[in-house]
Amino acid sequence: MSSYFDLTSELWKWNSPVWLLVFTLAGLYFLFQRGTSGKRSAAFAVSMLALLLAYVSPIGVLSDGYLFSAHVVQHLLLLLIVPLFLLLSLSESAMESLFSRPLMNRLGSVMAVPFLGWLSGLGVMWFWHIPSFCNASTVNYALGIFRDATFLLAGLAFWWPVFSPVKRYHLNPAVAVAYLFSACLACTLLGIYITFTVISVCPTFASPVDRIGILNMLYDQGLTPATDQRLGGLLMWVPPCSLYVTAIMIILKRWYADIEHVTAPPSTATPGSLREAHQ
Amino acid sequence: MNSVIPVLDPASPQAEAINNLFLQVLLISAVIFAIVSGLILIAISRGRRRDTLPEQDFGSEKSEIFWMIGPVIIVIWLVAISANLVITLNAIPHADPDGKTNFNDVDLIVTGHQWWWEVKYPKSGVITANEIYMPADKDKKFRILVTSADVIHCFWVPQLGRKIDAIPGRDNYIWLQATNPGSYQGRCSEYCGAQHAWMNFKVYAVTDEEFQKWEASEKQATEQPKLLSPLAKDDKLAAEGKKYFFQATCPQCHTIQGTKAEATIGPDLTHFARRKEIGAGVIENTPENLALWLKNPQALKPGCKMPDFKLSETNLKQLVAYLETLK
Amino acid sequence: MTTGSVEQPQLTMLEHQPSYTRMLEWVGTLDHKRIGIMYILTAVFYLAVGGFEALLMRIQLAFPNNTFLSPEMFNQLFTMHGTTMVFLVGMPVLTGFANYFVPLMIGARDVAFPRLNSFGFWMFFFGAALLHFSFLTGSAPNAGWFSYVPLSSKAYSSLQGVDYWIIGLLIMGIGSVSGAINIFATIVNLRAPGMSLQRVPLFVWMMLMQAILIILALPALNSALAMLLIDRWLGSAFFDPTRGGSAVLWQHYFWIFGHPEIYILILPGFGMISEVIPVFSRKPIYGYTFVAASSVAIVLLGYGVWAHHMFAVGLGMYADIFFAVGSLLIAIPTGIKVFNWTATLWGGEIQFNTSLHFAVAFLLQFVIGGLTGIMFAAVPIDWQLTDTYFVVAHFHYVLIGGLVFALFSAAYYWFPKMTGRMLNERIGILQFWLWVLGFNMTFMVQHFLGMMGMPRRVYTYGDNPGWAMLNGIATLGAIFMAVGTLVFLWNIFKSLRSGAIAGDNPWDAFTLEWATTSPPPPENFPVIPEVQSRRPVWDTNHPEYADWKTEKTPEDKGRRGNLAKIAAWSFIASEAVFFLLLLVAYVVFNTRLMAPVGEAPSPETLSDVTSSVLDVKRTGIFSLFLISSSITFWIAERFLKAGKKSAFVFSLGLTILLGIIFLAGQVWEYTGLLTSDISINTDLFSATFFTVTGFHGIHVTAGVIALFVMLLMGMKGNLSSEKTHVFGAVGVYWHFVDVVWIAVFGIIYLGLLQ
Repeated sequence: MSSYFDLTSELWKWNSPVWLLVFTLAGLYFLFQRGTSGKRSAAFAVSMLALLLAYVSPIGVLSDGYLFSAHVVQHLLLLLIVPLFLLLSLSESAMESLFSRPLMNRLGSVMAVPFLGWLSGLGVMWFWHIPSFCNASTVNYALGIFRDATFLLAGLAFWWPVFSPVKRYHLNPAVAVAYLFSACLACTLLGIYITFTVISVCPTFASPVDRIGILNMLYDQGLTPATDQRLGGLLMWVPPCSLYVTAIMIILKRWYADIEHVTAPPSTATPGSLREAHQ
Repeated sequence: MNSVIPVLDPASPQAEAINNLFLQVLLISAVIFAIVSGLILIAISRGRRRDTLPEQDFGSEKSEIFWMIGPVIIVIWLVAISANLVITLNAIPHADPDGKTNFNDVDLIVTGHQWWWEVKYPKSGVITANEIYMPADKDKKFRILVTSADVIHCFWVPQLGRKIDAIPGRDNYIWLQATNPGSYQGRCSEYCGAQHAWMNFKVYAVTDEEFQKWEASEKQATEQPKLLSPLAKDDKLAAEGKKYFFQATCPQCHTIQGTKAEATIGPDLTHFARRKEIGAGVIENTPENLALWLKNPQALKPGCKMPDFKLSETNLKQLVAYLETLK
Repeated sequence: MTTGSVEQPQLTMLEHQPSYTRMLEWVGTLDHKRIGIMYILTAVFYLAVGGFEALLMRIQLAFPNNTFLSPEMFNQLFTMHGTTMVFLVGMPVLTGFANYFVPLMIGARDVAFPRLNSFGFWMFFFGAALLHFSFLTGSAPNAGWFSYVPLSSKAYSSLQGVDYWIIGLLIMGIGSVSGAINIFATIVNLRAPGMSLQRVPLFVWMMLMQAILIILALPALNSALAMLLIDRWLGSAFFDPTRGGSAVLWQHYFWIFGHPEIYILILPGFGMISEVIPVFSRKPIYGYTFVAASSVAIVLLGYGVWAHHMFAVGLGMYADIFFAVGSLLIAIPTGIKVFNWTATLWGGEIQFNTSLHFAVAFLLQFVIGGLTGIMFAAVPIDWQLTDTYFVVAHFHYVLIGGLVFALFSAAYYWFPKMTGRMLNERIGILQFWLWVLGFNMTFMVQHFLGMMGMPRRVYTYGDNPGWAMLNGIATLGAIFMAVGTLVFLWNIFKSLRSGAIAGDNPWDAFTLEWATTSPPPPENFPVIPEVQSRRPVWDTNHPEYADWKTEKTPEDKGRRGNLAKIAAWSFIASEAVFFLLLLVAYVVFNTRLMAPVGEAPSPETLSDVTSSVLDVKRTGIFSLFLISSSITFWIAERFLKAGKKSAFVFSLGLTILLGIIFLAGQVWEYTGLLTSDISINTDLFSATFFTVTGFHGIHVTAGVIALFVMLLMGMKGNLSSEKTHVFGAVGVYWHFVDVVWIAVFGIIYLGLLQ
């Protein structure tokens, strides 16, 4: 049994290649988004910190074959937190000009189709938890990287119709609420499935290879494979849903504050259905 | 004498911890209620005297958020203290690294039946009903596996700790601990059919020594079935009772260890005469009450699984005499 | 579209007609106000029934070892009391108020679907009658209002009571969902010009939330009821632990419905209070957006906290903590509401009449109920007090102290509008005190009974110290409430005959229902009023303080949806939840057979078993028929829009044919299984398989019939290209059936998730 200090140093992976991605993104961000507000820069910082947390911290190390629950945390960071804050960090004006080009506008509009965003966001969640895929992506390094990349991209696609920096891509509030609520439902289902199923969703985690000698410690803490999977299922369920509910509240706030667009005087706006009722 | 308000009268570290949490939440609730009701009453008493049109106030976001701080802090605090206690009281048995449950440290198996409790000590093999003997030891957790043979019941001894459902096809775990010797009332607290009201039991916490003695005597008796000499008058009645017991349908439901009666539909009667109550708490176990019970169980516990056998006076007396020998 | 109200003859004409025609007028009415009144009156009738049941139980419990009722009778009474109060009083009385007032408050002439509305009422009416018919068979349902299995299964409840319960609830569930779809479509579509959704009265907003809750939560109950019915009648083993079923699954399903049900009952109460308090404080509601948005939060969170009813089940440490967090979170939006109501009263010019008396009592009692609710969310406290009289006290504080007091408040507030006469204030105050005293006597002491260890649902109890006295007080309180109810009825009777004439707007209230006469004419408004703020009538009556001058609210953009499509989509949302839960049941039961976590999956996995009985390839081919029918349908829709009749008829005919071929394939498959002795009661796989595919088959059949009707209409030329939205609504349904099949095929036949 190694000492506590050895363990803590083992649990951090300071030489993770994710630094390359972080530095590249940070470089790009400061190159193109110079002079943005403090709020946006803070969002960017949160996004990058989340990305680092996902790989450098014990979450990254433990999710690599040890703990399913850690894997779920990593997964949620990549799918939900990193892309969300990345979108929030982009300045409206810069993106507006970028997406005014026809080709980019096309891309933006396609990404704004709610069905696609929903399907990619929830699709990756479900797809990578089909036991065989979950297993393969944990065992195979390259496939793991591919999986993480799909998480990031799917996350961007998922949040785009709700928090895109370009306002015209936003869904109308009722659809956005349905979008997020049904996403919460899908997470709930997956979470329940993982929590209450008796099969091992990701068999690798059921019999970990003890690379750094911490397995006994984990078991002593009560994190046996069954408990671990149950915890993972609950993490898959409660935090994303809380995030979605928060997002819904933000949308509602936007909706109730929607008073600057005074278009038509109310008397002219007679809807068709009412006219029918008069007949 | 049992406690009058058992929930507020904890007799184990577990119940004590829950009680402390309860009192704390009660206090917080009382303060919240006092504030809210005070504000409302002030608003009304002031407002009733007003007779001018009040300022049309639509609210302010700032005050809403300011008001929210209180509830948010309280909620976080409640989550923290209750989660902490949940983790402390977690009674799921230690799991082996391969994910299998380690059942070795279960001291007692309690099975709910319509409408009585089967109590089985797996280590010694002792089986009884509606009465649990356990050593009073505040450092030792007396681990119990709770399950059910028919519908869902709920095992609850308020003075000793949490309740847990007895569910068919499912093993639930709980532990009991008693700081001091004493008797503690237990009840079924999940509706389970006609006689849910009479599915009580008692937990007797005794000293370790007494517990050993009790267990030994329970075991011993099972090895020595009561066969009495037919000479004495009372014994004659009892022997006739025994004969009648086996002639009648009694052994089709009950067990008396060491005899041919081995059915497990009704409670085990091996040491019936030692028990303090009949019918899971309906009446005290005295020869007179036993006669009353045998005469027509449906009169005392309508709907219970023991039918009215319409026994003759003679057979009734014989059976009572026999059952009273099962000490 | 013709609305029912237009067909109604004037009320004045009715007065001289013989009474049976008058009754027929009521029975056949499509007027939302009359249907609303029928809902309310039926609910009041069942309130009397449920109250009488409660009174009998209280008499039984007044003394220890009482033999006034047999245990069997007592168990039937508390089951029927709970079921009656929730499904036959709480839900219909709210639907009644919504029916009456939602169209008035949004400035509409009727609800969106008057016929559906009438259908919903009669489903409720006869479902309720059927449920109570069980008393005549001698065995009313007796397994409690949540009928936990295995107690409610055939083995332990062999008499018909539970069957009546299931069928009654299913029928009423159909009525509730159709009513909710109607209210939902009405609010979304029929608002008066200028009334944006951000401007609707809070009662309307709460009813919108309630409609969403009903549409999405009730199917959970229906799926559980369907499985229980199949268990009881066809001998399957969903809930039979001795044959591999689960006793806990029922609890999950029931509470996935049951917890939202509590918000279905209390949110409209919040809405009523949010109307009454501002009017009688002479102020607008404080923080409208917070009250409205917090209800959305409650609706959303309300779906994720069901397992806090199951803390004693032993779900495990993590599940307990997570559900505790969710449940405690609900305290925040609820706290916001209490703050806003208090802040509305604060600084107001209080009109302390009977209605506000009840509203204030609501506030205080609801806070008590909410705080004890927080205690139950803290898991260890729940472990002590759940299923005792403490929990009985808790939910009666929410449902009586909250909902019923809100209803009385609303009754005093709206009675003038509904009848044109005021209720008597002095009698009202008398009723108020009888109820406040009676209610708190009955239920405050039950908190102590719970702490003394008295479990709920016991028909009697031993002579334990203190129990007799407290139970006696509780019984006395129940008598007070009963007398209070009689006083209320007397008040109604007296006021109807000789109450003061109300006039259009006796309270100087704010919302549109007060802009018309009392009672409103059949067409509701002579002229649809114009709306510029959240308080249109206030703006008219107090132009100098008009809201739109000071408080800007989002303008109405005039967008209204298509009624047929809205109805189709909300119906499908409801159906989707139903199928989802059946599929979840499939997955739950068919992964259990496999290797547990931590062990390598054995070769004998379920998919092998499945493939051994199911012909995946053949069904795959038939699936292609069904899926291609979606495409032909889409083509038919385009032809209809283009006005090409013969091409439309051809492609629609082809769609029907493809659907029938699919059904034939299913019949073939079923025949094969049944002849090889695999039927619904064989094992859990066959039970789940037949249930899921059977319900899907029923839906395909219904879809084929609907398509056939469309075909006939198209051939007769009744389906003009302007009416494509009706056809589109059928299309939404047909595509949905296909999507469900894709999920069914993937999960059952291809064994994904396993």
